[in-house]
Amino acid sequence: MDTQASNTPVNQSLIHDPPFYQPSGDECELFERAWKNHLPLLIKGPTGCGKTRFVSHMAARLHLPLYTVACHDDLTAADLVGRHLIGDGETVWNDGPLTRAVREGGICYLDEVVEARKDTTVVLHPLADDRRMLPIDRTGELLPSFMLVVSYNPGYQNFLKGMKPSTRQRFVSLTFDFPTAAQEEAVLVGETGIDAMTAKRLVSIAGAFRSLRDHDLEEVASTRLLVYAATLIKDGYDPVRACRAALVETLTDDPETAIALSEVVNATFGR
Amino acid sequence: MEEYVGELWDRLITGAAEKRHAAVGVQLDEIAKPAAIFFRALGGDPGLGISAAPAVRHGARRRLLQRVAGSGEKVELSWRDGHVLRLPSQIDLFAEKALNRDLYFWLVALAAVETEHTLPWIVRNQQATLITLQRFPGLLSRYDRLVAATLAIRIPPEKLPADESAQENAIRRALQEPGTVNQILLAKRPFQPVPLWPHPQPPVSASTEDANGSGSSEHGGSAPVKKSRRKHLAERTDATEDKNGFLMMFRAESLFSWSEFVKVNRPQDDEDDAETAQQVAEDMDSLSIARDGKTSAASVRFDLDLPAGAEDDTPLGEGVLLPEWNWKKQVMQPDYCSLQQLIAADATPCELPHALKNTANRLRRQFQALTPTRHWLKGQQDGEELDMDAWVQLVSEKNSSMPTSEHGLYRAQVNQERDLACLLLADLSLSTDAYVSNHSRVIDVIRDSLLLFSEALTATGDSFALYGFSSLKRSQVRFHYIKGFEEKYSGQVRGRITAIKPGYYTRMGAAIRQASSLLAQQKKRQRLLLILTDGKPNDLDQYEGRYGIEDTRVALIEARKLGLRPFCVTIDSEASDYLPHLFGAGGYVVIRNPEELPKELPMLYAQMTR
Repeated sequence: MDTQASNTPVNQSLIHDPPFYQPSGDECELFERAWKNHLPLLIKGPTGCGKTRFVSHMAARLHLPLYTVACHDDLTAADLVGRHLIGDGETVWNDGPLTRAVREGGICYLDEVVEARKDTTVVLHPLADDRRMLPIDRTGELLPSFMLVVSYNPGYQNFLKGMKPSTRQRFVSLTFDFPTAAQEEAVLVGETGIDAMTAKRLVSIAGAFRSLRDHDLEEVASTRLLVYAATLIKDGYDPVRACRAALVETLTDDPETAIALSEVVNATFGR
Repeated sequence: MEEYVGELWDRLITGAAEKRHAAVGVQLDEIAKPAAIFFRALGGDPGLGISAAPAVRHGARRRLLQRVAGSGEKVELSWRDGHVLRLPSQIDLFAEKALNRDLYFWLVALAAVETEHTLPWIVRNQQATLITLQRFPGLLSRYDRLVAATLAIRIPPEKLPADESAQENAIRRALQEPGTVNQILLAKRPFQPVPLWPHPQPPVSASTEDANGSGSSEHGGSAPVKKSRRKHLAERTDATEDKNGFLMMFRAESLFSWSEFVKVNRPQDDEDDAETAQQVAEDMDSLSIARDGKTSAASVRFDLDLPAGAEDDTPLGEGVLLPEWNWKKQVMQPDYCSLQQLIAADATPCELPHALKNTANRLRRQFQALTPTRHWLKGQQDGEELDMDAWVQLVSEKNSSMPTSEHGLYRAQVNQERDLACLLLADLSLSTDAYVSNHSRVIDVIRDSLLLFSEALTATGDSFALYGFSSLKRSQVRFHYIKGFEEKYSGQVRGRITAIKPGYYTRMGAAIRQASSLLAQQKKRQRLLLILTDGKPNDLDQYEGRYGIEDTRVALIEARKLGLRPFCVTIDSEASDYLPHLFGAGGYVVIRNPEELPKELPMLYAQMTR
């Protein structure tokens, strides 16, 4: 559906070219409904399974401006809302991404929201419940809402970092996981233009690696890594070496695990 | 002289007969870990371990030279059962190292495929080969190379009698074109072993259930000098009851060979010469093991009876009934274990041992840095007060017409709170009586660890509890109270830590369930269940091997569901065989040098909760 959309010249001339996205369920419909009804959305899923791509795809499809904030330890409420900057002899109010998204009625996307400081996420509370207002104390403004999307990776948290239940409870949630084999092959083909046979083999390697989750590997091969491998192969690089660089070495530091993973690659592409 | 010539001849003839290439052989130990991961990656059961297969007599025709030399009688083949994947302890069939190594991975790949058990062996092998090659087309060229090399070392069909020749031809075709052979006409002599396929009739231990209900005993003797990965085919035989072992009927016509089980009861007459014993054991086809629950070493050194009531620790309250998971039946057995909380009866309040004082002081200082405090952050974009330093810098940069970078001009006060509870569960089984160095046992190391851990955590103000456990079958899971969450760390607690002593066995699942329920009552946002152990879950009854591991795994899954974070600290150097299955890749740490544990443990805690 998306490939069709991006193939039609009419759509391309509009605001953005929607980036390629292969839906794996009804997540697009849910997103549209959430947007229509101003419901905040929480997307969770392992790294590299397409959370960010999904949001940018949907923003382009709905013709909405998208403000993405990659959250980190030092992110303060002011970074999101905005602050007074000191200019020449005066202070100027400067909107943060959250405020800008609100003013433009766009989408504000907070990537890896658990990485942000606890006090920061509290600023989201009035936005994410039925008030749907953004109070800005410094300017005394009260802004109507827009769409808030946050994402996080449940398996990838520091022991002390989790999402506050009170924050969590304000979102409609959507769980992402790696797509099925057929869908993932379609993603690889659509994203890199690689041939179907190679895509199939790459996905089979990923399937083998994913069965090692929670056992020998902390993180498993994401769709993103497969896209990297496919890109290297498409560029003419040797498949075995491409997989070693993009998958094996990325996933593990342990030499023995690396040997085992390389054997899986050899068993798939080998000579 | 005669002896010398004989030795020379033996070496010569064996060397000529052995079509083996020891120089380029691959040992199982070299590739055991990658092979295990490879097995799991290909969809193999993650609960299976890898061990060496014993050599078995194949009875097939041998080359003339081999017959003269009396070699090549036995072969190591791979097979898989409910507990382990058995692989040859070394492969040196081919002249190229790469081929020998490939054979290992090929055997592992085959073992990861499930086939119909009802089909004939030869059909199953071809089916497994086809499935493997289809899923992993990259193996095709490797398979072809292996088949070519294997066929080259087999006795060609032309040199065999008619029936064996037909048999050999069928095998050759099945190897070369898998999927084309539907049956094999068995000749009088068994066929030559096929190293590319699993064992035709995996020798299964004669009985898996034993009537005595006794399990492998945990003995805390000195560590074995040399561990052999090879497991022996075991058949279980009942031990004779109290008969005098040395009164034996003498029958001249039947001399006992090493490999026959002699029903002699000689509990104390144990050969300490480990090397000889090991050599002899490796020469045997199968080891007969009688399970009466104690090795002689264990029976001499430890009395496994429960102490009399007066001697024992004081029970705290009623016993608790806990469920246990039976993986064979895949059912949870409710109220299966009885757990008794105990408190040391002979603990007297004491001070921290002098030897630990310095370390404890240092740790306390380090851990005070983790205490929740309100403190000021400089250079913030936002905050309660102006950051004068930053302001001065900004002004001076402006005045010197330097390009000004963005500055945070505020100071903000933050409150880093630690909303954290930690329960440390220490394994106090008998195996902790083993020595880790010349002067300390595992239990001493655990004791020091508990002391230093408590010192460090007291400095942070984090809420923590200490418990220990051991067990004697399901009716006596002993859960030692050392420090509760509400209790303050005091001389009394130190006394209880000092009083810990090696107990019985390791029924880990029940202890984890009890610890989880205690920890789950803590109203903290982060709850850490720290398990300190030195070996696998194990008890006298069926709680050993996979049964124990699967029960522990289920107990851990339950703990995670309660919102707890289990983490395991172990000093078992073989822990990476089974701990990933229980705790996941990031969920455990192996302390290579047990003596480092007391210092490492608090550091680990700091790392995890920083």
